[in-house]
Amino acid sequence: MNTKYLKLIGAMTVAGLMAACASHPDTNAALEHAHNRYDAAAGNPQVASLAAAELQRAATTLSEADKAQKDREPTSRVEQLAYLSSQRVAIAEETASARAAEANTAKAAAERDRLRLAMRTQEADAAKAQAANANANAANANANAAAADAAAAAAIAQANRDQARVERRDARLAELQAQLQDLQAKQTDRGMVVTLGDVLFDTGKATLLPASRASMDKLATFFKAHPDQRATIEGYTDSVGSAEYNQNLSQRRAQAVMSELVALGVPADRFTTRAYGEERPVASNDTSAGRQLNRRVEILFAALPAQTVSQR
Amino acid sequence: MTQMPRFALLLAIAALLGACASTPEPKSQMAVAEAAVQAANTPSTSENAPAELQVAVDKLALAHKAMNDKDYERARMLAEQTQVDAQAAEQKAQAVRSRKAAQASADADRALREELARKSGS
Repeated sequence: MNTKYLKLIGAMTVAGLMAACASHPDTNAALEHAHNRYDAAAGNPQVASLAAAELQRAATTLSEADKAQKDREPTSRVEQLAYLSSQRVAIAEETASARAAEANTAKAAAERDRLRLAMRTQEADAAKAQAANANANAANANANAAAADAAAAAAIAQANRDQARVERRDARLAELQAQLQDLQAKQTDRGMVVTLGDVLFDTGKATLLPASRASMDKLATFFKAHPDQRATIEGYTDSVGSAEYNQNLSQRRAQAVMSELVALGVPADRFTTRAYGEERPVASNDTSAGRQLNRRVEILFAALPAQTVSQR
Repeated sequence: MTQMPRFALLLAIAALLGACASTPEPKSQMAVAEAAVQAANTPSTSENAPAELQVAVDKLALAHKAMNDKDYERARMLAEQTQVDAQAAEQKAQAVRSRKAAQASADADRALREELARKSGS
């Protein structure tokens, strides 16, 4: 590179110096070259617009070269000016190129700013949408949670109510059993049974004796306390006497107990009566003690609601 | 009548001698050329316009040599050339630098645009 340039410089310089001392040709190759270079640059809109001052300097030098040629000044002078003009054209071209590149850099930077803004807007929109989504989800979740809470509360309330009901029923059952216990009720395979012994009646009669008073009161109280409790009042006798008589007697005694309970304020529709006569003895009719046990009125409590509940 | 051709000959000789020899020392041109090369001789110019810078440096050396040889006309012309050569080298380096920056800027643009397209696509 260096040697090539040195040679070029040497050749140019030698040519210039020789020309200085030689004759004047009408045309000069260096000057023509300078014109061509200038015309090309001036015809380039980028150079003309972006490096007008630099191009003008080249034009001035070129005019001086033309004048020198016209005035037949030494060729070396013409060629020196032509060379200077050509180099000034080069400077103008490089100046224009640099400025165009700088403009592009600025334009790209502006475009980048615009893109960054677009990106930020996009990100903000996305974030907003995401937030909205999240809010919607949160709202949904809240609603779901509220519904779940409500459902749970309802379930708990229901459970509490059920528990209370069970407890109430259990309490009622316990109460019933306690009261029936007081009446010396017995659990049989037919249900709870309260037996009223024959001591409550005159022999052969169906009239309740005053001694029955306490038992009757207790029974009436019990039935009034448990309005849904129904009962069958059953009359029984021993085997003394005719069966027909006994049947009749047992019916009247059952009826007498029912009448007494109705008189004490228990609705009649809670009871049914049945006469078994000398059937279903609970003891032997061969002994006096056995016959006494057989003369009785039994109050059979219908399947107790408490029992039904406790089975549930 | 013989004096006229003689006078003319003398004039012609004087003119020829003047053209080829005795010109004043181009001190200011040399100083300007020196300064121009110094200004152009930067790392950036070495990198972006090495051949053009070399031309200016070499020509300045030739100008110095011509000064030493007392060939002042040659020195003046070389000094003038050195000045524009140095400027041309400097300006070319500037243009190369600016074009590189513009390219980098355009690349950054493209990357950003691609990123934006990718983001809006996803």
